[in-house]
Amino acid sequence: MTDNSSSLNETGPRPRQFWEVVVWLLVGLTLGFVTGGLIGGILGGFIGNTFFQSAEAGGGLIGGVKEGFLWLGGLGAITGAALCATRRFNPQTLRKLKRFYGIKRGYWSLLILVGAFSISLLGQFFVNDRALLVVYEDQVHFPALPFAASNTGKDFGLDKDAAGQEYSYEVNYRELQAHFERQGQGVVIMPLVPYSPEETRRIDDDKKHPSPPNSESRHFLGTDPIGQDIFARLFYGFRITLIFALMFTLVVYLIGVVIGCLMGYYGSWVDLIGQRAVEVWQNIPFLYMVIIAVAAISDLPFKLPAWFKILVLLVIMVLFSWTSMTYYMRTSVLREKSRDYVAAAQMLGASTPRIIFNHLLPNTISTMVTFMPFTVATAIISITALDYLGFGLPSGTPSWGRMLKQGVANLHAPWIVLSAFAAMVTVLTLVTFIGEAVREAFDPKKFTTYE
Amino acid sequence: MKTTLTGILLAAALVWGSGCNKKQLKKPASTGGGESSQANALKEEDVRQIARVFAQEFAAELKRQNVSLASTGSATNSEARPLAPVRTEVKLNSAPDVMDFYEANPDGFIVAKPEDLPTELSWLKGAELEEFASPDAQRGGTFHEYTSDFPRTLRFVGPDANGAFRSHMLDYNAVYLVMPHPNGDGYYPGLAKEWAYGNDGRTVYFRLDPDARYSDGEPLRVTDFFFGLYLMRSPHIKAPWYNDFFSDDKFENVTIYDEHTLSIRFYKAKPDVIERIAGLRPIPEHFYGELDEQYVEDFQFKFEPTLGAYEVKQENVKKGESITLTRVPNWWADKKRFFRNRFNPDSVKVTVVREPAKVFELFLKAELDWHGLALPEFWYDKLPDDHDLVKNGHIEKIQFYNDVPRPTWAVRLNSNHPVLSSRDIRVGMNYALNFEAVIEKCFRNDYDRMRTVADGYGPRSHPDLKARAFSVEKAKEHFAKAGYTEAGPDGVLRTPAGKRLSFVFTTPYKRLDEAGVMTVLKEEALKAGVELQVEVMERTAAWKKISEKKHEMMLGALNTSVEMYPRFWEPYHSDNAYKEDKADRYDKEGQLKPGLTPKPVTNSFTLMADHEIDGLIERYRESEDLKEITELSHTLIQKIHDHGAYVPGWVRPWYRVGQWRWVKYPQDYNVRESREPFEFHIHWIDTKDRERTLKAMEDGEASGPAAIRMFDKYKLD
Repeated sequence: MTDNSSSLNETGPRPRQFWEVVVWLLVGLTLGFVTGGLIGGILGGFIGNTFFQSAEAGGGLIGGVKEGFLWLGGLGAITGAALCATRRFNPQTLRKLKRFYGIKRGYWSLLILVGAFSISLLGQFFVNDRALLVVYEDQVHFPALPFAASNTGKDFGLDKDAAGQEYSYEVNYRELQAHFERQGQGVVIMPLVPYSPEETRRIDDDKKHPSPPNSESRHFLGTDPIGQDIFARLFYGFRITLIFALMFTLVVYLIGVVIGCLMGYYGSWVDLIGQRAVEVWQNIPFLYMVIIAVAAISDLPFKLPAWFKILVLLVIMVLFSWTSMTYYMRTSVLREKSRDYVAAAQMLGASTPRIIFNHLLPNTISTMVTFMPFTVATAIISITALDYLGFGLPSGTPSWGRMLKQGVANLHAPWIVLSAFAAMVTVLTLVTFIGEAVREAFDPKKFTTYE
Repeated sequence: MKTTLTGILLAAALVWGSGCNKKQLKKPASTGGGESSQANALKEEDVRQIARVFAQEFAAELKRQNVSLASTGSATNSEARPLAPVRTEVKLNSAPDVMDFYEANPDGFIVAKPEDLPTELSWLKGAELEEFASPDAQRGGTFHEYTSDFPRTLRFVGPDANGAFRSHMLDYNAVYLVMPHPNGDGYYPGLAKEWAYGNDGRTVYFRLDPDARYSDGEPLRVTDFFFGLYLMRSPHIKAPWYNDFFSDDKFENVTIYDEHTLSIRFYKAKPDVIERIAGLRPIPEHFYGELDEQYVEDFQFKFEPTLGAYEVKQENVKKGESITLTRVPNWWADKKRFFRNRFNPDSVKVTVVREPAKVFELFLKAELDWHGLALPEFWYDKLPDDHDLVKNGHIEKIQFYNDVPRPTWAVRLNSNHPVLSSRDIRVGMNYALNFEAVIEKCFRNDYDRMRTVADGYGPRSHPDLKARAFSVEKAKEHFAKAGYTEAGPDGVLRTPAGKRLSFVFTTPYKRLDEAGVMTVLKEEALKAGVELQVEVMERTAAWKKISEKKHEMMLGALNTSVEMYPRFWEPYHSDNAYKEDKADRYDKEGQLKPGLTPKPVTNSFTLMADHEIDGLIERYRESEDLKEITELSHTLIQKIHDHGAYVPGWVRPWYRVGQWRWVKYPQDYNVRESREPFEFHIHWIDTKDRERTLKAMEDGEASGPAAIRMFDKYKLD
């Protein structure tokens, strides 16, 4: 028999383990946030564009998307968390997860990746050109906090900057630190790596760039030709790449799973038409569409912030990538729906969504989960490749693709290309280890007997 | 001309008449049943008879007009023999559309008799000038160049024709009537063997070199100058700039005296009138015939036969990959003074390399013969003096001081933009763009700051005006005047209503971005409270956007030509900024009206439109007096400075190149007015040396002492 039979055999609720709750909460939070955020972004953009006037051209649209995304995303996250808080893994899944835990290589890879990702989410406190703490004349500032006000040089008693210009712009905290040290007053505590990924060091110092790694100046991986810190760029590049890849994977799965399930469950003409539609859609060349879309965006009559461009890129990539998932889901559902438990559920009068989401989906989870790490890896590779070609993340955003390109252009400064390459290889290896472990743990052949 | 027309009309009438006959005769054929075939035969015979008569009459008419049938095609005249040096009157024999065009402007196109040529002319030959090529030059070999984008067209005019590849086909290749001597004053003969100035100071007479011959073997005909104007003024070429540049307001008249003598009259006795006049390029009429609206598409990838040394043959065009220019066999100017020992390589292979980083690597692999080292990162870091290839003498590093108006590296603000239309914002931007930092940090102080909109024109340039230096204080002061008073949390200034001071900053030059220019400007501007969104586009796409005037601000350069005094009308007159008629551009107070339509495909990237500047430019263009021109030039430079849409960038008083040792050059390396090393084609390839060097490299040996040379003969202090 199948998984269901074993869960039927269970008697009484099993006490839930702490990690189980955490995982379900996380799953609920992310799924809810992404779904809510997507709907909110679209709705908000529409509403903002139609109803709100703003001083900036296109401000309504951008503001709408942002607000909609955050609010509905937040709402979705709460709902998701609430819905998932009481859920539990079915014993089969639990067993698979335990098996995964047993495969140490994959398990440690997951821990490292999750750890690194968590640190990068709090990156402001580790890699930043804004100080963690400034004490000046009995006032305490925390410039590294997300919504901290910016302080000009004048606020700290610097009237002129090093070049003799009026210091009415945001103070350079490294400069301020040196200044305070000279003056013997005030305290500046800088993050571990006191550079932001976008700033160039060209103006500040007389060093030749690209300069090799140097722990004294805290350029741990050196600088690139325009004096940007390689480590800072790698670090934030990692964050944006991984967020991008995860979002991409989630949305692709959301669409792919729903459509695949529908095609598989309803069969007949839904399947027929759906399949043809997918085939047609699949034949639209992806790269051309990205190039066209990027060109179209740059022709818009208003300026888009970088995050909006990234969102658009994400949407385009998703639009042309969800198709392959439908095939797998369709086959799994086709196979599962002829099983007795589906018939039983139908006899009991369960609604179609209930059958799909409560009965079929948990039994096709192995199909989904085994593909997921590889989708993440593909997403990382494609965003890097697009960046390399110049059609990816907007210019200025720290990105691995651009770093690779820069490195290839400056082979006389090998630390650039080596850093980017090593980071890329490490992350992809970790993801692949996780993927292999998941595949092994979720391999259905070990647990399923066919009648 | 009239007679030709009557001939054509007669012919048309006859054809029409015979057509009618045919119809009449045909009618019974369709109704007549069995007899039809016989009737048909009869009628055919009739038609033949009519045709015979018509042909005889037509031939007689042509004979009367002294035109041989063959000359409309290319059968007899294409034989390689020079035209007889008999001074005979020229008969026009062009396609109907072209004839109509000439006839519509009887004062502009005159066919005179040989005896009409003024007799008191004193003919010049440029004999006193020295040749500038080296007699040591060797013929042969292939010169390897690259281009960053495959040319979108092989046309010389029309949409997309202004690409980088044009210089290979035209600018560095074409032979004009006379050409300015690149080492100083004076002109040397090109297509014209001799030339003479008329008394009015604005007419120049030319005697064509009878040897001149296109690359397809056809001789240069004096009527090709007529045709040149026909083409340049045609709406079908879709090039308003050329339409205007060659309009009958400027090129008032071309008179043909015999098959080798003509005169061209310019509208004004400008001090350098001959250079303007010689800019009228003869265009091979036999190649085009006449133009129609299909011109742009039909000639997209057809190479116009050239009078220059290099031609593009269809089989040498590899779409998307490369174009090879080959030397015209037995080029007509091979042995002429000023042309001998030039254009030495047998072919020039121009490969498309889209990746800027790859270009340099290809150069190091000897797949390209030279590479520019103007950017300090190349001169100091990527090809340092102790680089193996330099140390072993395989590659030479050369710095050459030239003396020309420089490419105008500057930021141009689109003054049609709702925010940039405010003068305060524009002046504020002048203070907010830190070119001093760019020069210091990105160019290692190798370059100088450009001072004004027109540097390098000697006395015509402004004596003491300088570009505004970076100043946070002054920038913010001007922005505040325009209403940007508050600083946002991101450091960007905004109005009380929340409008941020942010611009998209476009450039077509990836290498500038890679050298950090855009980043430095962006970061420094943020100090002054301006956000610049850098947009580095692929070159062709960027220029398209800019020439459609869709940019907000752009960093780029226009190449200037070596001239006596600067041009103001093209970039700064409102004629080139807006489509509307001049009367509709300004209101009664001389203020620009809102809602005007920018004019695409002009050089007005600032969309400058100022009533006063317009007036000054018009006077400047009218003026024939060098002193007045000088004064007006100074005033204009000052006014444009005040307007603020042009933010001067940097100038470079030299060029630097790395080249493989087999690329040989004259003693002084190059001529004074060269802007690129291979512009005048006085270099040559030593093929044996090439083999030797490549072998030495393979064996890991040096091929000579390191050669890092500086040529400062033309350096100004």
